[in-house]
Amino acid sequence: MTGERQSLSQRIANWARVKSPWVTVFNSGACNACDIEIIACLMPRFDVERFGILAKGSPRHADILIVTGAVTRKQASRLRRIWEQMPEPKYVIACGACGAGGGVFQGLYHVVGDVGTVIPVDMYVAGCPPRPDEIINAVVACLNLMKEDLARGGKEWRKKAEDTGRKETAPGTGAEVNV
Amino acid sequence: MVEVMVPIGPQHPALKEPVNFRIYVEGEKIVRLDLDLSYNHRGIEKAAEERNFIRVLPLLERVCGICSHSHATVFAKGIEEIMDLEVPARAQYIRTIMAELERMHSHLLWLGVAAHEIGFNTLLMWTWRDREAVLDTLEEMSGNRVHYNMNEIGGVRLDLSEKQVAAAQQRLPLLEDRIAQYVDMVSHQETMLIRFRGVGKLSKEEILKYGTVGPTARASGVDYDVRRDDSYLVYDEVPWNVVTDSSGDVYGRTKVRIGELSESLKIVRHCIENLPEGPVRVASTPKMAPKGEILSRYEAPRGELAHFIRTNGTDKAERLDIRTPTLANWTSVAKALVNQNLADIPVIVAAIDPCLSCTSRMTVIDTGTQAQGSISWEELVRKCRARYGMGVQP
Amino acid sequence: MTALLTMEQVSGALREYGPAEQVRKNRIRVNTDPQKILSAIKAAQQFLDCDHLILISCTDDTGSFGLTYHLTGPHRTVISLAVSVPRESPQVFSVSDILPPAAIYERQIHDLFGIVFSGHPGLTRLMLNEDWPDGEYPLRKDWKPNKANSYGGAAPEGA
Repeated sequence: MTGERQSLSQRIANWARVKSPWVTVFNSGACNACDIEIIACLMPRFDVERFGILAKGSPRHADILIVTGAVTRKQASRLRRIWEQMPEPKYVIACGACGAGGGVFQGLYHVVGDVGTVIPVDMYVAGCPPRPDEIINAVVACLNLMKEDLARGGKEWRKKAEDTGRKETAPGTGAEVNV
Repeated sequence: MVEVMVPIGPQHPALKEPVNFRIYVEGEKIVRLDLDLSYNHRGIEKAAEERNFIRVLPLLERVCGICSHSHATVFAKGIEEIMDLEVPARAQYIRTIMAELERMHSHLLWLGVAAHEIGFNTLLMWTWRDREAVLDTLEEMSGNRVHYNMNEIGGVRLDLSEKQVAAAQQRLPLLEDRIAQYVDMVSHQETMLIRFRGVGKLSKEEILKYGTVGPTARASGVDYDVRRDDSYLVYDEVPWNVVTDSSGDVYGRTKVRIGELSESLKIVRHCIENLPEGPVRVASTPKMAPKGEILSRYEAPRGELAHFIRTNGTDKAERLDIRTPTLANWTSVAKALVNQNLADIPVIVAAIDPCLSCTSRMTVIDTGTQAQGSISWEELVRKCRARYGMGVQP
Repeated sequence: MTALLTMEQVSGALREYGPAEQVRKNRIRVNTDPQKILSAIKAAQQFLDCDHLILISCTDDTGSFGLTYHLTGPHRTVISLAVSVPRESPQVFSVSDILPPAAIYERQIHDLFGIVFSGHPGLTRLMLNEDWPDGEYPLRKDWKPNKANSYGGAAPEGA
């Protein structure tokens, strides 16, 4: 915990980020099922826009990057570039079994696999594809993580937890953060 | 030629797979189009040689998330034919129900996306809302909204219970009503008439020359539909019609797809009402397939899907060669775009209902001035809407 | 739709190209030589009313590569014209002049198998990424990833 009181403008910015995150999606060589379920989140049945979650096309405007697909060799460098274009604080959600380790495509000659080998991942969502409810749950959990990170002055507290071997409980989900 | 490549993200997030177009222009007119499909290449054909028939079906389902049942069914039916298995009637009916429900969800998805490209977002919301009814039915029957994994070599994995059948039947009138609305809309709606008519026109001769398949081909009067021409599952027992149109433009393709929605609903209703009793899989499936070779074809929502399978007496396919309908249709897109405006790209590309679309990066090369630039999908859609007089915020 | 083609019709029309065999009730295969493939396809288009190319399938038959051109038409019969090219110098004429959809299929086969289609307008990469080493054809049976090569896509670990 930094112990420093953040300035008013800083607190407003933090509130805005958490209250209305802008999300961008990157397809790193997927079968499209995850992408379709993500679009379904924006459709009348699930309608995440009423929560303030806006889907933007450009990574430069985004807080959260959702990566779908088992990363193909062609997309690996593009994925890295997209991630680098995002301003801090930025969060990455790896969607589905493919994002976690390649899914059914693990070991194929044109597939790299786990998104975590290309960019650091903050949240994994299980499923093939994950349901829209599960994707929304992941975004909300990510927001809670964002809130906690902002309150503690950055993501370093998660790394410290790993270095000291201490496990912290992630806010919102109650799961152990093991980054 | 100097080339400037500016990678820009997709206009609407998560909109399909990235494809690279290299567009050669003279001013605003397109002269040539080159394709690069490597963004999505995963190496599935090679992996299919190393996985046995049980393990390969989930892999094949995930070739595409929208027509997953198509790939699994076409492979399963090919292997069943090589093994000379008599699949029980109930299983074939269940497979047909899932296949037609998949066609419905795919066409509704397409209708929404095409509407979105011209700025008609209301229709996008309506069709995707109606699509949820289809997905609910699929989820009740199979356990998943996408990737149903219903196929096994020799039948289907799950039976349909009375409750599931009743629930599906209850949803059909709602879908019928909505589809009737879309049929009405497509003939009267000013927005669609103005923006789709005359765009991306391909004559019957051009369709045949470029090897186009599916609703894109049928919209130009080409009367090919694998469900009738090389009949499989129960399409030769169920009364249904092939939908064709003669206009050959995006409007015609819209009419064909909406017509196919009605036909699919008819087939689903007929299959549900006439579901035969019996087992849902053969008593025992052989592990090995005899030596053989088969060309298995299927009418996927986007067109003719072909799997060429060669077996060699083991429990794996020796060679699996997949030709997806979108690969067949790209040639016609490249030709249809010549002499069109840059602004027409979103509508024409969307009209073939590509299973890979919405480029993440497009290069535009001016053959006249030798200048290069890059243009984002966002900009193109804006141009498209401006051209057709629609100044709506995306 | 017209009636299915009979063996007599097919072997009559394609008699000079090779023997015909009925592999399925609606599929007839004709084995022919690579040099004759262009004229065989022209004959199928002219005399057998074949106006649609389904796919060009390619198989690795150890000593050679097998290419099969599957054509169909209003008669709904699939005519499979099969040729065999030697492994040491896999080369065959491109048929994209008379069958425009073949251009993209041939490009794909070249990328993954290494067969050269002479006369093709542009055998550029289609499926494999730009860092994939030349001369490595993943769909060949004897291809195994070489640990010494980089196949592209290995981005550094995240910070």
